[in-house]
Amino acid sequence: MSPDRYGDTAGVVPGRPEGRAVLRIRALEPYSSEFTSEQIGVIADIAEKYGSGIVHVTPRQTVEVPDIDNSSIGKIAELLGACGLSLGSTGRHMRNVIACSRWCLYNAVPVSDLARKLNSLHAGRVLPGKMDISLSGCDFSCVRSRTSDIGVIARADIELTDKECKKCSLCVKAPLGCQVDAINLSDGGLTIDRDRCVRCGFCSNICRPGTIEVRSRSFDVYVGGCGGIRPREAVFHKSLDSEEALVDELGRILDRYAEHGWEGARIGDVIEKKGTSFLEG
Amino acid sequence: MNVEKEELSFNLEMPAVGVIKGVLAKDIEVVGERVVNLRTCARPYRNIYTVAQLRTIRNVIEKYGSGKVHLSPRHNLEIPEVRQKDLDSALKELYISGLFPGGAGTSVRNIFTCPHWCSKAVRPVQELGMMVSANFADRDMPNKVTISFAGCSNGCSRPQNSDIGVIAIGRVEAAGGRCVDDCLKCIEACPFGAIDRTGGQVRINDKCVYCLRCVDACSEGLLHVKETGFRVLIGGKEGSTVRFGAEYAVFVGDFEVLEIIERALSSYLKKAGFRPGSEKKRERLGEVVERLGLDEFMKESPA
Repeated sequence: MSPDRYGDTAGVVPGRPEGRAVLRIRALEPYSSEFTSEQIGVIADIAEKYGSGIVHVTPRQTVEVPDIDNSSIGKIAELLGACGLSLGSTGRHMRNVIACSRWCLYNAVPVSDLARKLNSLHAGRVLPGKMDISLSGCDFSCVRSRTSDIGVIARADIELTDKECKKCSLCVKAPLGCQVDAINLSDGGLTIDRDRCVRCGFCSNICRPGTIEVRSRSFDVYVGGCGGIRPREAVFHKSLDSEEALVDELGRILDRYAEHGWEGARIGDVIEKKGTSFLEG
Repeated sequence: MNVEKEELSFNLEMPAVGVIKGVLAKDIEVVGERVVNLRTCARPYRNIYTVAQLRTIRNVIEKYGSGKVHLSPRHNLEIPEVRQKDLDSALKELYISGLFPGGAGTSVRNIFTCPHWCSKAVRPVQELGMMVSANFADRDMPNKVTISFAGCSNGCSRPQNSDIGVIAIGRVEAAGGRCVDDCLKCIEACPFGAIDRTGGQVRINDKCVYCLRCVDACSEGLLHVKETGFRVLIGGKEGSTVRFGAEYAVFVGDFEVLEIIERALSSYLKKAGFRPGSEKKRERLGEVVERLGLDEFMKESPA
């Protein structure tokens, strides 16, 4: 795979009709998994003025605007830069770090600010192969953490406190009750099935008397997954207990991958050949 | 007991598909306020938003939301922090420009397709995705069902991890001509070692997965596309556990794909049971396939 296959500029993809470019637009500020109303307006204006009036929403929280004349790319990049948007997330450039919705009830830890931080640190970096990082606020991982090159899943470990359970059964019944049936409520009281529990911590949010509380929050890191022609499931790498430690660790993994990877190799290919030991040290 | 419910300021009855329980970002810990997230799907193409639709979303998030829109990984634009009292007005504005709530809960989720302008597409899938959207999207199911279409084997829309995944494929034919000496472009491009070269002639062996990367790589034009079609995978999933879909059919046409999807969904409706150890969650499509076997699952049950 030659680096100029996607053009020299990040975010510019050759498309159809022949000779017209497709622009991939990502948000960097103020959020990276959300667009503000101003940004939506700017994208609409660009699609209307320079494109064919339509945009495609990609699976990695970017927007593609097709049918762009190459001569107008510079002007468009200026318009985007003025409102916190940027071209990017193509080819071997570091892809957009995606995060699930911060409004979701099941977040153990809202991760969208973390995604913004990672994007501002690593956006535009060129790596040996494509690099997808997906941050998930809970085990259900709507953003596909387990088939991303690096997947992060936030965890909230719960514990039962001394406070008396009022047996309101909200934590058990549909629609808000435990999604994986890990809570048993009987006359004897409340018990947690630790094998079933996926550590999303949602039960602690709806427990009014405070019988269920979160003991600690942490992040599990998975590496080496990918989709595509040869899909692969990521393997568990390590668990980290703070956002700072996570940002450091992801930076270190990227450095190791840049050092040990060869052209076109995904991080999963490197792990297949060298084992996970190259990520350490 | 009534007091308990009063304290919990949630409206437990959720209005309709596509309207999701939500929280205000500022009090994410306390689960307060009667706010919802509105998950919008574009029509007619689920992955394409027009300028008018984007401007409508801009107006709605300014007027009824918090000025932000979340991009979901399945082409939905999610409007968070809409107060329940504003829901009807917000929906009305969205309807006018062809945006509908949907793609949530135990139903057929937003159909996932790649865009028609991708230069790698073996066969366009957007029209087919639209047909499936029009027929099956948001239909009630025992559990969530994801259907994804990919225009090439790169599978950006994750067909292998969808309940039903459709991938466009093509069969390669090596024309008789003699290759350029020392040109190994097609062999380098092939991810599966499916090309043998003997004495200036290339031959495709049975490891071929029909991705057509060799045809793009061949500068001499000796490799041709003989036919194109779709591969249909059934039973994949993604999330807490990962399962890759099993191949059900190869080289089927547009209408056969529609038939297979219809049959899979009706089988799923009839054959899904509860998950082991659960009395409220039903099996995902892949779990039914695992329990019954793919052939038994797809067999039409006597009416």
